[in-house]
Amino acid sequence: MWLAAATKVFLKMSNARNDLMRWLGLFWLSLWLVPSQADLPPLTHNLTAVAEPSPAPALRLLSMDDEMVDIESLKGKVVVVNFWATWCPPCRREMPSLEVLYQETKAQGVVVLAVNIGEDFDTVFPFLGSVEPSPNFPILLDRDSSSLSDWKVRGLPTTFVVAPDGKLAYQAVGGREFNHPALIKQLLSLME
Amino acid sequence: MRNFRHSGILLSCLLLFSGIAAAQKRTVDPATGAVTWETSMHGVALSLTQILPDQARAFYLNRGLPADATEIYANACVYMTVLRNDSAPGVVHFRQADWSVVSGGESRPPLCVESWFERFQAHALSKSATIAFRWAQFPAEHAYQPGGDWNQGMLTTGLPAAAEFDLVVRWDVAGRSYQGILKNVQCAK
Repeated sequence: MWLAAATKVFLKMSNARNDLMRWLGLFWLSLWLVPSQADLPPLTHNLTAVAEPSPAPALRLLSMDDEMVDIESLKGKVVVVNFWATWCPPCRREMPSLEVLYQETKAQGVVVLAVNIGEDFDTVFPFLGSVEPSPNFPILLDRDSSSLSDWKVRGLPTTFVVAPDGKLAYQAVGGREFNHPALIKQLLSLME
Repeated sequence: MRNFRHSGILLSCLLLFSGIAAAQKRTVDPATGAVTWETSMHGVALSLTQILPDQARAFYLNRGLPADATEIYANACVYMTVLRNDSAPGVVHFRQADWSVVSGGESRPPLCVESWFERFQAHALSKSATIAFRWAQFPAEHAYQPGGDWNQGMLTTGLPAAAEFDLVVRWDVAGRSYQGILKNVQCAK
């Protein structure tokens, strides 16, 4: 029903040849590509231990706040590195839980870095405003997606956990429930 | 005794058919009319949801794909695909090149992302559109750990509207081959 209504509006806009309105209509319509929450598979909270921990690949990118963030400078902390994009439905779903994780663990030395792939400030910023709770952790912009090959990412979202010694400790392919107590406990155990 | 034997056969048939019904589920989204086919086998969950041409157009035009390239893609029988390792006996490794779209007596893999970029060569995709297109597709190859590794992405068969096909998905766990089939899947009209 919603899609039908949205399509009608879109077609009317197209007929009117009003470019601005047409693009707004497209944006609106594209949101319906994301199925309702009820249709999506449940998110788990499992992280897979990296069998042979190796040093984390380099990651040095500008944040949305125009600050250079270098993972090399974060040794001694647990760093959660999440690769995502605004158009990726599971990325959108897990983003609020990353904020909860960040709020519950930042005092204990956990850092969350969300690396956006291929989008600009003007695209990412409005999305972040729609997330509840809105992320307060650094959002890094990887405009050319080069970090994906450095980190051997094959699909979005993918998340890595880097231990205080700078080595990869855990990874997760696909959306997760990052605010689950068991997952938080697992991360904090890396600080011990 | 004879009645009892007939009842037994009937019960067996009912159990068999209920098993088949449980193995593959078909649902229709009342809002969009898009159909989803889903199944679970050997601890791996698989689903295909039709992405209607208007939905595909909206998604890619909004991400800067040229209109003519978008039109080709939107009419290529597109699905939102989910594959997840719920409880397989180990790491699920797959390559889309090993999968089969079986239709009209012919069998071929789903269209790969590289073949799309070949088709788009004349359409001058921007960098951001190229990145969004590549990463919105279902991965060409991956390895999923048990306990919930998964991906959601777009998959195209290249079949015409309303065509019917079976999708055979193949993977391996520790060197042993497995497969699952979604039968009688239909392209959006």
